[in-house]
Amino acid sequence: MSRFSTIAAALLAAAALASAPLAVEAAKPAHGFAPPATTIGAQTGQIVAMRRLTESQYRNTIADVFGPDITVAGRFEPIVRPVHELIASGARASSISPTGLERFDAMARIIAGQVFGKDHRDQFVSCTPKNSALADAKCAQQVLTPLGRYLFRRPMTLAEQAFYVRLAGEGAGPAKSFDKGLELALSAMLVSPKFLYVIETAEPDPANPGALRLDNWSRAARLSYMLWNTTPGETLMQAAQAGRLTDQQQLESTAAAMVASPRFEQGLRAFFSDMLLFERFDELAKDPIVYPYFNPDVAQALPEQTLRTITDHLLTRDGDYRQLFTTNRTFMTRALASLYQVPVSKSHGWEAFEFAAGDDRAGLLGQAGFLAMYSHSGRSSPTLRGRAVRELLMCQPVPDPPGNVNFTAVQDTTNKAMPTARSRLSAHASDPACEGCHDITDPIGLPLERFDGIGAWRSTENGARIETFGILDDVKFDGAGGLGATLAGSPEITRCVASRAFEYANAAGPDGVKPVVAALEKAFAAKGYRIRDLFARVASMPESYAAVPTLRHSSSVTAVR
Amino acid sequence: MNVAKSWLRPAAMSLLGTALIAFGPVTASGPAPADAAAATARLPAPPASGTMGFVIDNFAQAIVPGKDACPEGPVLKLRDAYIHGLPPTERERLLRKENEKELDRLWQLTAFGPDNTNVCSQPDAFDPPMLRTVRSKLAWGIDLDGDGGKGAAGESGCAQPDFVSPTGQKGIDNQEYRALGCMLEWRNAEGMPSDQAVGMRQFIASGEWTQVILLHGVDSLVRDDDVTVILGNTPDRPIADSKGNFLRGATFTISEQLPRHRNVLKGRIVDGVLSTAPADIKLTQTWGQGGARDLRGERSLWEYRQGQLRVEFHSDGTLSGVLGGYRPIFDPIISPALGGAGSAIVAGIDCSAALKTIRKLADGLRDPKTGQCQGISSAQQLHAVPAFVNDAPTAKRSAAR
Repeated sequence: MSRFSTIAAALLAAAALASAPLAVEAAKPAHGFAPPATTIGAQTGQIVAMRRLTESQYRNTIADVFGPDITVAGRFEPIVRPVHELIASGARASSISPTGLERFDAMARIIAGQVFGKDHRDQFVSCTPKNSALADAKCAQQVLTPLGRYLFRRPMTLAEQAFYVRLAGEGAGPAKSFDKGLELALSAMLVSPKFLYVIETAEPDPANPGALRLDNWSRAARLSYMLWNTTPGETLMQAAQAGRLTDQQQLESTAAAMVASPRFEQGLRAFFSDMLLFERFDELAKDPIVYPYFNPDVAQALPEQTLRTITDHLLTRDGDYRQLFTTNRTFMTRALASLYQVPVSKSHGWEAFEFAAGDDRAGLLGQAGFLAMYSHSGRSSPTLRGRAVRELLMCQPVPDPPGNVNFTAVQDTTNKAMPTARSRLSAHASDPACEGCHDITDPIGLPLERFDGIGAWRSTENGARIETFGILDDVKFDGAGGLGATLAGSPEITRCVASRAFEYANAAGPDGVKPVVAALEKAFAAKGYRIRDLFARVASMPESYAAVPTLRHSSSVTAVR
Repeated sequence: MNVAKSWLRPAAMSLLGTALIAFGPVTASGPAPADAAAATARLPAPPASGTMGFVIDNFAQAIVPGKDACPEGPVLKLRDAYIHGLPPTERERLLRKENEKELDRLWQLTAFGPDNTNVCSQPDAFDPPMLRTVRSKLAWGIDLDGDGGKGAAGESGCAQPDFVSPTGQKGIDNQEYRALGCMLEWRNAEGMPSDQAVGMRQFIASGEWTQVILLHGVDSLVRDDDVTVILGNTPDRPIADSKGNFLRGATFTISEQLPRHRNVLKGRIVDGVLSTAPADIKLTQTWGQGGARDLRGERSLWEYRQGQLRVEFHSDGTLSGVLGGYRPIFDPIISPALGGAGSAIVAGIDCSAALKTIRKLADGLRDPKTGQCQGISSAQQLHAVPAFVNDAPTAKRSAAR
């Protein structure tokens, strides 16, 4: 099998996306038999957006289509996060470099090799080729057509079907193997932009003459990736096929059912991982001499602890979003418990844990994941912590420091004259150039100072008692618990998460959400700040499916290869 | 059958030769008591629950350093012993470089006997001279027979001279130290950790049957007449810093799986020192690391008959002291014995001489029929840091630091 054949096929398909529409009627199947019901003669939608799959979406999709035992091996080219936005928003403008495409190609070959390997072949090859050493167009079509429907999130067009069947035939000949031909065709599908990108297409909106709305297939993909972080399943595909997703009532019932499903946890994890910048955990490093309790087991457990806390509170307990900042409930592993200096009952795995009432650990901000992430490698940082609260939880961007700032005072953590971070920052912020920004970050971060750079408890720094009073939007409080309670009472956090949910669904920036955020937040409040209701609403509101033409009209796709 | 050869591959011999000589680590400060009153005054109050947990981070047969301990020098390795016994002219000839192979062949022959026996697999089949023994009067340990230094035979023992502890306590029974304390595996060059110290540290840090202490019913760290002490093994690997120091506050669970040894002892605290009443104590002992045929505690154990624990609380929350008792006389050499010929020709250990010396100095577990003592007094120095200890995996969390 030629190394470049699948990439060439992908490039061909990519070129077709940008080319003038092809008349599907002219693209007859090479083998000349009638298409099954899983194909469409033409796709009439206009492309209005393309979103690259994230790594987790790619993995989940492969697992759902081919089974969880299919190994996805390789490195993913990251999607760049726009400043103060979500990765989901970045996915809308994410390209794939030649190196990135080669990686996808390598992964595709590994996946295709497993799918048509001896352990899995029978699951996917439902027909018997006339000669296992030769091409068999009819059998190849029978195998590839349903797979293409799942991978492209819509039925393949006749032209697409013909293309991949022909590719399978071309691969089978030189390899003298029908299965190798299937591998080639599937590899090509997996590096096609129609798989690597969620291509959203629109149709005229009958309720708003002259406007566009996402069509059923795009809605199915939108719903599935937003709520379950994976490709649409058969139920959703059938709903799209039947045109039920453009019916408001049926769209709402579908969204309600999806947020009630256990699979919503997977979607919610992806959302909060994006909102809380969890990709930074991959780069988290601490000085082992300064922080002996930080080790690989702890590093691995930190994001999972936060996600478990979030999903347990918001889904298992159907809790109020605001109480995420005050809850005493979390989860522990043995490694984490040593950092927290608490006992666990199991040697391995996770177990529920509840801090005592009044414990300063309450809420997400008392968790080591947040505290370690927003610290330096060898010291805590009230400024980073305060900035993270502002930006991530309150959606209030904080300006970067000027390039010529003198950080000497805050970095000298052994200065006896300034033993605590509060005293060091006080000296640093006496510079008028620094004062403005530190005023909006440090009073939020300093109450967390009883947790060191990895989130371990301490009551003193350099022998001096740590003071933890703080202030947020004119409300005074003390400690992490006080900060959590104050934050829970702030309307900014509920407005922020509502905004992020809409941005996540629509791959929009903060500006794009302004017209709807007030109404969305109001509806969120009316439901007691339940996250399921927020996402069900976002997933069913007409604004989420209003489409704006972004590509030239000539890119309308009737058939792409 | 040569047991050792049957399960040791040649490639593994050199590794095991080093690992298996670890009778138990070494040098450490002993129960230090300078000013007991001041020390106890600094002790914190115990937790309200009366439950305290510890993980043992050092478990070593302690030596008392000093040149007076072994005035004849350390116990000679088999090669050195062979050379030492040669006439001067023959010694000079064999030590020439060109005769190295001949020397190796000759001294290694001393490790083997008829029918493919060797000094470590069949130590009883040889009759070597005794080892050089410790000659000083100082040793760490416990007055196991309670004779206060009279060296009397006691009801079930054999008369042997007692030691005095470096802190002045009389009647210290530690004949194992007297017998083996001049071996290089026990006593490295001054200031250097011995093979045992290094080896035992690795074993205890590996997480394969680490030892923990769980105390119940502690009302005061200064004085409490009724404390329950659970001394057991856990399969949970200690969490350590980048230098290998065990970190405080980790959780350990005493395993229910075999081999499990959970010793429940009756203790009392006097002036900040916890002592337990004599009882037979068993702990899993690990020898060997990795490999399909490693021992991992399957074949040996720490067994202390009439064992006692004597540990001191420190103001930093740690414990230190000794575990003493009478060990069956073969136990102190079980590690090199399991190593078989490898222990002899790689590590140069003469197990037969060690066993002969132990038998000669045995002072406990007297067989009423033969009148021979089948046990030798021993002391293991230990240090422990605070930990959370669960008594059993299925039980509710039972310990706080």
